[in-house]
Amino acid sequence: MKILVTGANGFLGRRIVASLLAAGADDLCVHVRDRASEALLDEWHSRHPQARIEVRAANLLSRTRLPALVEGVDCIVHAAAGMRGSAADMFANTVVGTRNLLDAAGAAGVRRIVLVSSFAVYRTEQLERGARHDEQVPIEATGIEKGAYAYAKTRQEHLFEEYRRRFGFEAVVLRPGVIYGPGGGRLSNRVGLRAMGVFFSLGGAAELPLTYVDNCADAVALAALKAADGARFNVVDDDLPTCRAYLRGYRREVEKLRVLPVPYWAFVFGSSMLLRYHKASKGQLPAVFTPYIVRSMYRPLQYSNAALKSLGWTPKVATAEGLQRSFRYWRDHPA
Amino acid sequence: MRTTPHARATAGIALHHGSVRVLKTAVIGCGKIADSHVEQVRAIGAAEIVAACDREPLMAEQLAQRWDIPGQFTDALEMLRTTRPDVVHIATPPDSHVALATMALEHGCHVFVEKPFALTAADAATILDAAARAGRRVSVNYLYNFERPALELQRLLADGKLGRVVHLESHYGYNLAGDYGVAVLGDPEHWVHRLPGKLFHNVLDHVLAKIAPFVDDDFTLQATAFRLRADSGNPVLDAMADELRFTIKGGNGVTASGTVSAHARPAAHSLRVAGTIDTVELDYAARTLVRSARQSQPSAIGRLFPPFVQARQFRRNAWRNVADFGRSKSHYFQCMRVLLARFYGAIDGRDEDPVAPAQILRVCRMIDAIVEQTRSPA
Repeated sequence: MKILVTGANGFLGRRIVASLLAAGADDLCVHVRDRASEALLDEWHSRHPQARIEVRAANLLSRTRLPALVEGVDCIVHAAAGMRGSAADMFANTVVGTRNLLDAAGAAGVRRIVLVSSFAVYRTEQLERGARHDEQVPIEATGIEKGAYAYAKTRQEHLFEEYRRRFGFEAVVLRPGVIYGPGGGRLSNRVGLRAMGVFFSLGGAAELPLTYVDNCADAVALAALKAADGARFNVVDDDLPTCRAYLRGYRREVEKLRVLPVPYWAFVFGSSMLLRYHKASKGQLPAVFTPYIVRSMYRPLQYSNAALKSLGWTPKVATAEGLQRSFRYWRDHPA
Repeated sequence: MRTTPHARATAGIALHHGSVRVLKTAVIGCGKIADSHVEQVRAIGAAEIVAACDREPLMAEQLAQRWDIPGQFTDALEMLRTTRPDVVHIATPPDSHVALATMALEHGCHVFVEKPFALTAADAATILDAAARAGRRVSVNYLYNFERPALELQRLLADGKLGRVVHLESHYGYNLAGDYGVAVLGDPEHWVHRLPGKLFHNVLDHVLAKIAPFVDDDFTLQATAFRLRADSGNPVLDAMADELRFTIKGGNGVTASGTVSAHARPAAHSLRVAGTIDTVELDYAARTLVRSARQSQPSAIGRLFPPFVQARQFRRNAWRNVADFGRSKSHYFQCMRVLLARFYGAIDGRDEDPVAPAQILRVCRMIDAIVEQTRSPA
């Protein structure tokens, strides 16, 4: 089976390639936007000399390039997405790029597509405090209320479902929580926000839905090779720390921070004031937090990875070890 | 085309709020700058946004959905015929401006164009002529000329506080590590690479629009551009220079110099205006305007005073900024809000054109000259 991995130069994408190779996939196409990292290619080739690894460069926004990208491919692992920029940029790189890829894949008769989605698509605002967060939680209708990233990823999932119905390919979706690891982001906004020389600790006692990047990549590879058509998976590790514990470890191991803890009730109230001010001032300050966002992302929930484990996945890197590796890397590579 | 019930109800009729006629506005081009157009038009309350139009249906959808705009279109002509907007904002890549602006003007719309106004001065003249023939207003997003320090500069000039302007220095910095820079450098097919002046073509308006009111049309210009970035190996990317220096001498004797730099830190956004009576320095990022230091007392004693005088000026600027914030006049695009208020005022006949057509044309001619002189590979 020839597998195409999109976004293979990315933080997660490059690990997905490694995980697929380790899981025995030996015919891969790696998609990059411009040029592949020579060091990465050397590493993959040296560890898996028997594997065929073909680099295919294409901008997913350039539709004419995509038939060649998907030619001869049996399965696509779609990990490319817009992670930065304006709302329009993020939407274009996530949704328009996905639509172009799915059009090409549908026309080429690609049999199976695995989408790397996100926790951001879940509609969690209505969940009770401490509720179990598994794959039964519905996804947002639009995600607009949760900001540009959630909006783009939600539209991407709806689009994926539309195309699955149209073309009938096998569809698998993985929704990782906060992907972390050396080279990745340090302090998720679920933990808090740095502003005016202070770190506002927002997550408090809520569990932080972490997944170490290698574990996440293993999950994606396993799902690509083994999951049933239509399967959906949360991707979170075991032994998740609270946001408070994560921040404590970060401050101890990586850098000193002046921290201002914000209780949940104060956060809800503050976000409500911010939203009101945003409207009254005609957008002078952006409504980065709204009561909907706070209720959706900062209430304590219990994250389940049972579905993924039933597929045979176990996190190879324990959370304590993953945190240690990450903290050490960040300490040695100051931002 | 897709419309919501609201769109169908309002299509083709003028909207009225009370007794005041509210104009109908459409936005063509739904990329990132379109958000600013929608937000600022809404903020001034002069128009109802009736349509979002983009060749890419998903992009029209996202702008319409995020801003609750009733109409979504992928064809500009169909949009013009269906919604009959009074005003069209054009926020597409610049190589489409002539066709879209003239089409909108022919349909009786006033047109507000995102910078750069056109690819060449000839194209700019085509748009301006079409506006004159149609009797419609046309303007361009030279927003920084409406930033608070720039408005203050206009007052100082009108009051004769600077005397006759003899020289200007305009500086603009660009961080290629930012989101936009990463997008441009990561994609050889990005539309910026299609512009004759590449990266500079997209930012020169910010530098030249501040100079154009002072230098006449009989100008001469010298420019040099080069690349400080390391080779990427991609010929398209490497053809893009990232440093520009230029000097201009007007037939009226006013001179100007300017820089666009992707490497100088902090990224500058400033203007220095030297007059026969006084000189002022404007910082657009910090929103300050201060008169240049001058030594009014003799000898060593005289050197003690200027920094205190400067400090007092900066303190005044700081409090003015605080006051602006308190009055909700400190939005990042407050300057665009002022410009649009004047543009919509001009449509209503209350104001003059916020940017004179002659100045638009002059800026485009200056860009032509810079492109001509820097066309050789970096």
